[in-house]
Amino acid sequence: MPEALPTDSIIEVQGLVTHYGDTKVLDDVSFSVKRGEIFVIIGGSGCGKSTLLKHMCGLIRPTAGAILYQGEDVAQMDETQLGVMQRTIGIAFQSSGLFNSMTVGDNVAMPLREYGDMDEQLIDAIVRMKLGLVGLGDAQYKMPSELSGGMRKRAGLARAIALDPPLVYFDEPSAGLDPIMASGLDALILALRKLLGLSFVIVTHELDSIRVIADTVLMLDLGKIIFLGPLEEAEKSQVERVKQFFERRPDEFIAQRNIV
Amino acid sequence: MSTPTRIPCPPQLDKESGRTLYQTVRTGKLAGGQKLVLDFVDTTAMDSLGGAWLVEIADHARRRNTELLCENHTGHVSEFIDMIEPALLTAPPLPARTMGIVESLGNTTLSATTEGRQFLELCIDAIYWTLIAPLEGKGLRWGLLLDEIHEMGVRAVRIVCLMNFLLGLIIAMLMAKQAENYGISLFVADILVIGFNRELAAIMTAVVVSARTGAAIAAEISTMKVQEEIDALKGMGLNVAQFLVAPKLLAMLIVLPCLVTLGTISGVLGGAVWGIAVLGFQPAIWFNQTINACHFDDIFQGMLKTFFFAVIIALIGCHNGLRVTGGSRGVGLMTTRSVVQDIFMIIVIDIIFAMIFYYVLQ
Repeated sequence: MPEALPTDSIIEVQGLVTHYGDTKVLDDVSFSVKRGEIFVIIGGSGCGKSTLLKHMCGLIRPTAGAILYQGEDVAQMDETQLGVMQRTIGIAFQSSGLFNSMTVGDNVAMPLREYGDMDEQLIDAIVRMKLGLVGLGDAQYKMPSELSGGMRKRAGLARAIALDPPLVYFDEPSAGLDPIMASGLDALILALRKLLGLSFVIVTHELDSIRVIADTVLMLDLGKIIFLGPLEEAEKSQVERVKQFFERRPDEFIAQRNIV
Repeated sequence: MSTPTRIPCPPQLDKESGRTLYQTVRTGKLAGGQKLVLDFVDTTAMDSLGGAWLVEIADHARRRNTELLCENHTGHVSEFIDMIEPALLTAPPLPARTMGIVESLGNTTLSATTEGRQFLELCIDAIYWTLIAPLEGKGLRWGLLLDEIHEMGVRAVRIVCLMNFLLGLIIAMLMAKQAENYGISLFVADILVIGFNRELAAIMTAVVVSARTGAAIAAEISTMKVQEEIDALKGMGLNVAQFLVAPKLLAMLIVLPCLVTLGTISGVLGGAVWGIAVLGFQPAIWFNQTINACHFDDIFQGMLKTFFFAVIIALIGCHNGLRVTGGSRGVGLMTTRSVVQDIFMIIVIDIIFAMIFYYVLQ
């Protein structure tokens, strides 16, 4: 459960609007993530979760609105500034995004070699420590293709936290994992937050996992925020879509729900 | 049992203080069987770089056969040490061992044998589904065959004709320079038509097609394998040789001889352009000489090896595609490998044919 959180926010989204062609994907989305917080974004498929995450790492630019990361607007940064900003965030992708041509250890070492000011001996120790953290201590010299899906996901997380970024984005951490592995990953996220003070922004569908890790929940529906608040309130919310999500009820009239 | 070496840890264990601590431990000359105690009584904070140095120290102690104990840690530091414990307690995994000469020789032999067997099986399967099964009335996918013929053949016509035309020009220039010394420039027409009928068109076309289509086959099938499409096909009870290999093999068998024929004509025309425009022969004389030098034997042996080339290009592409391991990099490796093997095999087959037709059957 969350301890007393610092009050300053690490990333703040203000009035974000974005379009794909003529379709409005995100409509006036505003929220802020506090330092050391685990912020969970939920919502049905196609509601704009991944789009939101891509905006927050500066991979796409919004039509309108601002994304303030440590006080600076990601939406207004040029390529160089974006590069500097992206170094300080860790991204763990849904399908791991490991480079197939390198060993797992080299994958984790890559950001350290590129950006860190360290010698090989220390890099090796960091790689082993981070792989040990995610329970892959013996996989250092294996190729990603030799790992299972869950192991790859954990290796992706090890690479994302290699540089100790203050903010980590994690897309679908527990999708495709068995319950034991998934709960292990939840525990790991909590431990990393506690020990290294990392903030997490996590996109997930797993109710069990949300109940364990989330401090704050943001629910999107058709590009709009329909709920934003602490986990306890989300569970008690009277908003129909939110209730439906937490009670796992199916849609009665899927066909009638159209994007306006 | 000797007394343990006690080393106090700095109040803040980070990158710099961790390095100092590591050097202190290293200069401490640990003896085997001795205990090394790190005393964390003063330490109130550590970060992950400090943790990494602890991992280094643990490695060093393990190499010296020394037991490492972390003592008197509290609070945050204690939790941190608990969390990195797996890395502290286990020895680093060994990098993949490099093999000795004998071992790698054996390994190569074994894998070559396995690969040879797989290739043979694929050949048998493919030939059954291409030549025998249609006669037994088992379906070949005709729509797909037409697509393949369009892609492999029709779309390759321009490049094949251009390459052979240019090669014809080059051969004509080379030969004309030699022949004019003896006053037999007209025989360049003979050389061209015999050369293209027997060797040049077949080899040039096969090389172009293997770089174009052989690579495409390997890339397509290896991507399908990586994305589990091959498994999906097998899971539906469908035969890979029937659905993937047979249409490609049959298309290649139909297309390559046609391309070689076009290539021969282009090559001879390329030579004729040089003979008529530069050497100054009358077109009638040049073409008459060309047609007189055109023998069925030459055409036959040029065509015969074309069929072998077709089988090699199609099957090596499929074989390498099906053998792929390890994602995007594997696809690249297998594509390269199949083009290299194609060209090597084309030359080998050509040498065998040359020996048979020029020496054995004379």
